[in-house]
Amino acid sequence: MKPTIGIEVHVELKSNAKVFSLSKNNFNDAVNSNINVIDLGYPGVLPILNKGVIDDALKACLALNFKINRLMHFDRKNYFYPDLPKGYQITQQDTPIGYDGYVEISNKKIYLERMHIEEDTCKSLHTTDTLLNFNRAGVPLLEIVTKPCISSGKEAIEYLEKLRETLLYLGISDVKIEEGSMRCDVNVSVSNTDALGTKVEVKNIGSISNVGVAIDYEIQRQQQLLANDEVIVEQTRRFDDKTKTTVLMRYKETGNDYRYFPEPDIPYVYIDDQWLNEIKNSMPILTDELKSKYTNLGLNTNNIKTIISNKDVCNFLESVIEKVNPNIAANLLTGDILSYLNKNYIKLEESKLTKNNFIKLVELLDKKTISSKQGKEVINILMETGKDVLDIVKENNMEQISDDNLVLDIVTKVINNNPDSIKDFKEGKDRAVKYLMGQIMKDSKGQVNPALANQLLISELNKR
Amino acid sequence: MKYLDLDIKTINQKLKNKEIKPIDLVNEAFAKIEVNNLNCFITLNKEEAIKQALKLENQEVDNILFGLPIAIKDNIITKDLRTTAASHILDDFIPVYDATVISKIKEKNMIIIGKTNMDEFAMGSTGETSYFGNTLNPWDKTSVPGGSSSGSASCVAARITPFALGTDTGGSIRQPSSFCGVVGLKPTYGRVSRYGIIAFASSLDQAGPITRNVYENALLLNVISGHDNHDLTSSYEEVKDYTSLIGKDVSSLKIAVPNYYMSEVIDKKVKQAVLEVIEILKKEGCQVDFVDIDYLQYAIPLYQIIALSEASSNLARYDGVRYGLKIDNFNNIDELYKNTRSIGFGNEVKRRIMIGSYILSGENANVYYYKALKLRKIMTDNLKKCFNQYDLIIGPTNTDVAYKLGVKQDDALKSFYDDLLTIPVNMAGLPALSLPIGFKNNLPIGMHIIGNYFQEEIIYQLASFIEKTLNLNLNAKEVK
Repeated sequence: MKPTIGIEVHVELKSNAKVFSLSKNNFNDAVNSNINVIDLGYPGVLPILNKGVIDDALKACLALNFKINRLMHFDRKNYFYPDLPKGYQITQQDTPIGYDGYVEISNKKIYLERMHIEEDTCKSLHTTDTLLNFNRAGVPLLEIVTKPCISSGKEAIEYLEKLRETLLYLGISDVKIEEGSMRCDVNVSVSNTDALGTKVEVKNIGSISNVGVAIDYEIQRQQQLLANDEVIVEQTRRFDDKTKTTVLMRYKETGNDYRYFPEPDIPYVYIDDQWLNEIKNSMPILTDELKSKYTNLGLNTNNIKTIISNKDVCNFLESVIEKVNPNIAANLLTGDILSYLNKNYIKLEESKLTKNNFIKLVELLDKKTISSKQGKEVINILMETGKDVLDIVKENNMEQISDDNLVLDIVTKVINNNPDSIKDFKEGKDRAVKYLMGQIMKDSKGQVNPALANQLLISELNKR
Repeated sequence: MKYLDLDIKTINQKLKNKEIKPIDLVNEAFAKIEVNNLNCFITLNKEEAIKQALKLENQEVDNILFGLPIAIKDNIITKDLRTTAASHILDDFIPVYDATVISKIKEKNMIIIGKTNMDEFAMGSTGETSYFGNTLNPWDKTSVPGGSSSGSASCVAARITPFALGTDTGGSIRQPSSFCGVVGLKPTYGRVSRYGIIAFASSLDQAGPITRNVYENALLLNVISGHDNHDLTSSYEEVKDYTSLIGKDVSSLKIAVPNYYMSEVIDKKVKQAVLEVIEILKKEGCQVDFVDIDYLQYAIPLYQIIALSEASSNLARYDGVRYGLKIDNFNNIDELYKNTRSIGFGNEVKRRIMIGSYILSGENANVYYYKALKLRKIMTDNLKKCFNQYDLIIGPTNTDVAYKLGVKQDDALKSFYDDLLTIPVNMAGLPALSLPIGFKNNLPIGMHIIGNYFQEEIIYQLASFIEKTLNLNLNAKEVK
């Protein structure tokens, strides 16, 4: 029995102002502080149009391979609800800014039917009364709808992660599903014939991984119903996080009638070549491009994955990558630095790590001035104190002795003190070199450059 | 001395000479309101108006509209001054902002006398759908003043204020101006900002001046015109001095008279008055041709579909949640909506919301609404074509003069027929003016002058010529 899955995603854009008014777009400010007469739907007010929102939507169109409706308009979606101040939502029904797009995941393309711009409603808080926070009213949203072409929870997760990553790297949204800046509704149907089955919508899914859980649960539930020859009724269900199941909310009312018509207060918007080219030229590097770049630089797959999924780490790497050995830099960032950040629950930009210090540290490691073990110690001190790397190295006597003459002095001294080892070496015993190296490290308090010392030791021994 | 009967140039001179003060004009206006008893106003702004007038005494008279009283239709938002749209649902609504047109008249230091009576939410053409009772026509208190800008037209006709603002969605400035014997202009769509105009049908609504004569009408248009960042449909077209062609030779004007505007549904005396004006114009040297403009005959169904659809959406916000009337005994949200809207809206408004909602529902949207949009475009194109050959279109504003109060209240369709000749103008977004050109049974007859987009000055040019030539006595009180 074949499952078919479609996903509708709503993404809040992080524009400065709301989409149809000049109120600040920041839900988290004091309740009902970012509002004006337009957001409240006062008599006589008219919408304005935030061009930056269209810019952001165009970026998303390009990144998600959408065709663009160059001449587009807005529509009114009419319905009554307390969180909808005007009694209608301004959205795009006839001319979504993007149509026929796709996203590539590992083994297939996920086809996107449409993407349109709309305004968010205000946020209801149900206590004994219903309280309304209009900070959210008019926050710009992109709604992105896939075709019914997803076939498993795993594919859905992969699609959503790719989508999230793309929008994050575009810099147009926080895309945090946990905080509501990304919301996913899924449609699941199962059919034992070639025709599509009955659509069941699942709402209220609070994380990307739970989208997968919800889908797989719903597929199994519907398959079981069909196996028992039961009829599936079109309905809306919600995901229950505790039981990891879906629960019936309501049966779909037929003919939900939103009385759409073109919004007469906003003239048609024409996106000309110049506008589109400006957007094309302002596109940031996206994850596919970054992945191939890092692969070409020789970074390993795990590191690449870790870097891409931590955008601030990736941004940091990008800002220094021309100046350092990328492999050492990636190892540092994905290893000790990231684990320090995670342990302390801070972001990279909140830490004491500076680009300059990071570049110096990578250089010291690259030139083998300090050992990788010493590098770890430096990072710990660096992240705590923010001190200059060179000072840290000096203060802790970590500088390796890499001067040929100094190293040779120590090597010669150790060989002279251990004539038996020369004999062992001549007889081909490996342990002689290891023993002598140990003595060299001991004599230098571990500060001698081991590679250099080893090289000099063998050449000195061969001379004897 | 009745200062408010003097022309604006004279009043302005007297204000400059300190012969009179703004407070004299304000006091006279309020005295007249009491004497006239026309129910022109829903809310008077007496205290504020007096305060402002006294304040202006110490200020330089820096423009021709300085210190002059103006009346504002009550669907135009005025900060701190109750704005009801003549509806129970907004009868306690005190706005926190000014409409752009209000900011503009305040910049010129005009003095708002009060908010004028109107049909509820501008839905009606008699003034009778107002929650606050009907307005009277100063020419005959048993006849309707027309609507929906009934109070604004009546108040100027009674010479209570020399200026008023109205709004026009299908004829709501021109029809009452015609019935009350005053000059009313609906500007080109986009000429005047709609920000702060309580929306009825957004693609048709336009605010405009109602005045005693043509010159003063142009003066007020000069003030309220212009692009507004708050209104995406307002035009960037340069604002002209709309008085500039007044008094200029009209002999080279080419004028079209649509046969549709002179059909058998037009009252004979009204038609006669228009024909007499046409004769004058021809004598003056104007080219006047009778022409056929197809699709004008669809005006009323188009209006019913487009205006009522938009209205059903525009009036959804009056739900009792955030402002205005809230009927408190409800058990759930749907009951709050139902009770508030059932009690808050009058019958005509409810009827129009229902029709509009029906038209937009499901497949009806294609059958009616989208088809109407196509027809609207064809009608507009036909009018545009006419302006390729002609400077102006003229005809009567209405099929007849004012009729008796009460006669159209029982017939939901009849009131639309008042707008037979005015609606095409709104559909196309053209500017048009109504000018008194004579009387039938002591009731004024209005002539309709329609111009090409953003050519209001040419409308005024012809209107002022006709006005001067006819030289009618248009003071309602003196005629009686």
